[in-house]
Amino acid sequence: MAANFLMPTRDQKFILKEWLPLEQVLSYEAFSEAYSMDDVDMILEQAHKMCREIIAPTNEEGDKNPAHLVDGKVILPESFKEAYDFVQENGWGTSNLDTEGGALPELLLTAVNEFILGANPAFAPYVGATTGSAKLIQTFGNDWQKGLFLPKMMEGAWSGTMCLTEPNAGSDVGDITTKAFPTETPGVYKIKGTKCFITAGDHNLTENIIHLLLARIEGAAQGTKGISLFIVPKYRVDDNGNITGSNDVTCVGVEHKMGLKASATAMLSFGDNNDCLGYLVGDPPDENGKAQGMAQMFQMMNGARYETGLMALAVAAVAYHNAAQYARERIQGRPLTNPKSDRLQIIKHADVRRMLMNMKAHNEAVRAMIYKTGFMMDVQHHDPDEGKRKMAAAYVDVTTPLIKAYASDVVWPLTGEAIQVYGGYGFSEEYPVAQSARDCKIYSIWEGTNYIQALDLIGRKWTMKNGEVFKAWMKDLKQTIESFGDKPEFAKEYAILSEAYKAYRGIQQKTMEFYMQQKFDLLPLFATRILHCTAKLYCGTLIVDQAVLAAGKMSELGADHFDYAFYRGKVEAARYYVRNIVPEVMCTAGIIADADTSVLDAPEEAFNF
Amino acid sequence: MKILVCLKQTFDTEAKITLDSNGKIESKGVSMIMNPYDEFAVEEALRIKEKGEGEVTVISVGGQQTQDALRQALAMGADKAVLVDPGEIELDEFSTATVLAKTIGGMEYDIILGGFRAIDDGSAQVVGRVAELLNIPVVNVVTKLEIEGGKALATREVEGGSEVIEVALPAAFTAQKGLNEPRYPSMKGIMKAKKKPMDKKTLADVGLDENQIAAKVKALSFSLPEARQAGKVIPGEAAEAAKELARLLREEAKVI
Ligand SMILES: Cc1cc2nc3c(=O)[nH]c(=O)nc-3n(C[C@H](O)[C@H](O)[C@H](O)COP(=O)(O)OP(=O)(O)OC[C@H]3O[C@@H](n4cnc5c(N)ncnc54)[C@H](O)[C@@H]3O)c2cc1C
Ligand SMILES: Cc1cc2nc3c(=O)[nH]c(=O)nc-3n(C[C@H](O)[C@H](O)[C@H](O)COP(=O)(O)OP(=O)(O)OC[C@H]3O[C@@H](n4cnc5c(N)ncnc54)[C@H](O)[C@@H]3O)c2cc1C
Repeated sequence: MAANFLMPTRDQKFILKEWLPLEQVLSYEAFSEAYSMDDVDMILEQAHKMCREIIAPTNEEGDKNPAHLVDGKVILPESFKEAYDFVQENGWGTSNLDTEGGALPELLLTAVNEFILGANPAFAPYVGATTGSAKLIQTFGNDWQKGLFLPKMMEGAWSGTMCLTEPNAGSDVGDITTKAFPTETPGVYKIKGTKCFITAGDHNLTENIIHLLLARIEGAAQGTKGISLFIVPKYRVDDNGNITGSNDVTCVGVEHKMGLKASATAMLSFGDNNDCLGYLVGDPPDENGKAQGMAQMFQMMNGARYETGLMALAVAAVAYHNAAQYARERIQGRPLTNPKSDRLQIIKHADVRRMLMNMKAHNEAVRAMIYKTGFMMDVQHHDPDEGKRKMAAAYVDVTTPLIKAYASDVVWPLTGEAIQVYGGYGFSEEYPVAQSARDCKIYSIWEGTNYIQALDLIGRKWTMKNGEVFKAWMKDLKQTIESFGDKPEFAKEYAILSEAYKAYRGIQQKTMEFYMQQKFDLLPLFATRILHCTAKLYCGTLIVDQAVLAAGKMSELGADHFDYAFYRGKVEAARYYVRNIVPEVMCTAGIIADADTSVLDAPEEAFNF
Repeated sequence: MKILVCLKQTFDTEAKITLDSNGKIESKGVSMIMNPYDEFAVEEALRIKEKGEGEVTVISVGGQQTQDALRQALAMGADKAVLVDPGEIELDEFSTATVLAKTIGGMEYDIILGGFRAIDDGSAQVVGRVAELLNIPVVNVVTKLEIEGGKALATREVEGGSEVIEVALPAAFTAQKGLNEPRYPSMKGIMKAKKKPMDKKTLADVGLDENQIAAKVKALSFSLPEARQAGKVIPGEAAEAAKELARLLREEAKVI
């Protein structure tokens, strides 16, 4: 059974209306005409209603009826088509790229997308892939490409994909073998190759599918620098957008996956009959064979990484709320202290409460991290002050790998914990959370595995502009931590975060030492754990920042107020996260200082046993 | 064609209702929605307008928060909204209808629509009273409505079937479930809603004072339904258990 779409909107509203300066975002020229703070509730409520009534009902149908191939075409559950059209036609999807037409700011869109993703995580990628690929055309395409493809993609008639992966080139995008051969028409190439694992690679939701594909133009450089980006429609179209025939793109298979079953993951063959045309985005490779494709793709990839973190959060949130509801209803066990009394709802047991709090605190911490970056993206793109735009862009650079990898690493144990709350019923597909656990595993893998995110953090983000970018980010973090110094009710949190900050600086220093001593092996060995430490320190700081606000509201409103439990819950979640999770930074710092190499010392043969 | 829709903001159908320390219904912290029957009315108004020409105005009597429900109607496609905020006084159906009728009396209209009842108090009186005060006909629990040439053909539910009524405009109609499927506001709709006029009035603005609308009905007390009893599981072999079930239904529950 699919997870019930249980997703209260209170925390999102707290973030948008109390914690982050959404008002500042709405005052930017791009939004000031279209939206005001008064619209926020309606946007959230209406998006939520659509998710409840239109998208969530497709979730179970999709899980029971995986995408499957019939006569070379992928078939999806009927309800998906309706939901797709609804989202696209009513302005909740790809049309948000239309900055003239009242696009939502990223911060608000993040909330809308959290709901959509929570309502059906296997459905959302059809919209997400379309938006991501349309955005590439919007940013890098020429006028003809934009005029032809964008309107159809925004209105939902055509969808999109990202074709990077090949059977022998997953993490190693630079080793792709798909080729592009020039034709007589400049900018038009013949494409030949096979792509695999392509999300939304084939389906029956739209009349055409526009693949954004990476291929190497004959003669271009080897590796990532010789790769170009192409627009490759499934069906050829004339200049008016009418479909004129096949473009020699065939779907040769769909994966049978453990989760996200109705999200078609397709193996696609391009140019089997030597008749597949692709339109080059940007310029052909220069005289050194250097092409533009990877840099272009990175723009999409950063967005997709952000979105992947959001997906993980959405699934974790829905699993948590289902588990909490179950814990209120299930009666089992008597209080340890009074074994003669009546049996209790399991939410009354400390250990169940611990699991619920662990889920709640992680979700709120991760949500704080993601939405804060959503806000920074709006500053990056829309603030009138160039300095602020640059500062925000750097901030987003730093937090993107944290969002992608931390959110998607914690969601797996968190959904496992939701199962644990359900006891034996959690393991059963008749109950909601088993599917959440199956659905979420992919997030640590796609859009660059989490190890690649960790390398991105310590290899690129730590060292960008001679380390200035990261230094500024750390300074900002430190300032926020310092601001807790005069809050007596958070003295312990202040102390732990200060210690964690110091420990983290220690990790950085130690890593630098490894580097100087040319112990390069140790960097990848600790990379993933360093990323987790970064995220824990960061999330801990943000969640206490929220708690300071919530504590103020608590004393203002008093314990009888209906909103008291929400604010109290935020304060306790922050305390839990900082006291129970953040100290792991100190622990990992110790392990790294110790430079434990047991992993590397074990001979490969040790893994035969 | 000028179409007016009377709408009310009510508790969310999913909301958990509790009583406060004075035994009154606790409204704080409860999420509010547009009364679902009024959504049918708004939708019908929009469809009538979209078939020809016209203007849809939505009207509500309520506090400032009621603007949310009106704004939703604007986002669905209504053209204008009027909110009459009577202040902190208790209203009954008489008071609400009086305020509405007085407000509408100063406006042009061909059709007045509303939900046949509100899901909170369920009194099913307001639109009927408004029609009476305005001295125009009202057709209740309408499931189909056709407008042509200054007349309306309204299909309404009656016990065991339906009835078709022809009535000259102006007239009032109350919407029943089945009349239509209300649309969801689109992003564009929400955006446009912001620029549409929202006319906020006080009682004095519509020419009334508190005494003229003093409630004629007073709720003496409220009580919540009794909590559902826990179910009973009858153990044993199926045949034996069935026998026991039959016995319990006959002797304890006395339903067979
Ligand atoms: C459901 C699903 C949907 C997908 N959708 C798309 C899509 O729409 N478009 C698209 O192009 N691709 C898509 N992919 C592909 C996805 O991006 C790849 O699976 C991913 O990049 C990993 O590549 P791989 O599977 O070949 O694993 P591999 O690259 O073989 O990696 C296996 C393991 O080895 C590790 N590893 C690999 N290289 C190194 C290294 N140098 N150092 C240390 N560790 C390393 C990885 O971290 C990983 O843990 C999808 C995949 C799935 C499963
Ligand atoms: C695949 C499968 C095979 C099974 N095989 C067998 C079998 O062969 N024979 C058999 O007899 N049973 C079997 N079971 C049942 C299994 O042993 C129970 O599911 C398990 O004991 C948990 O009970 P429950 O599912 O009722 O969960 P619950 O007891 O309802 O537990 C739900 C949650 O509440 C917590 N909780 C419950 N009581 C307390 C308490 N007092 N204090 C604190 N926390 C508490 C639990 O730790 C758990 O996290 C099987 C179950 C499955 C799913």
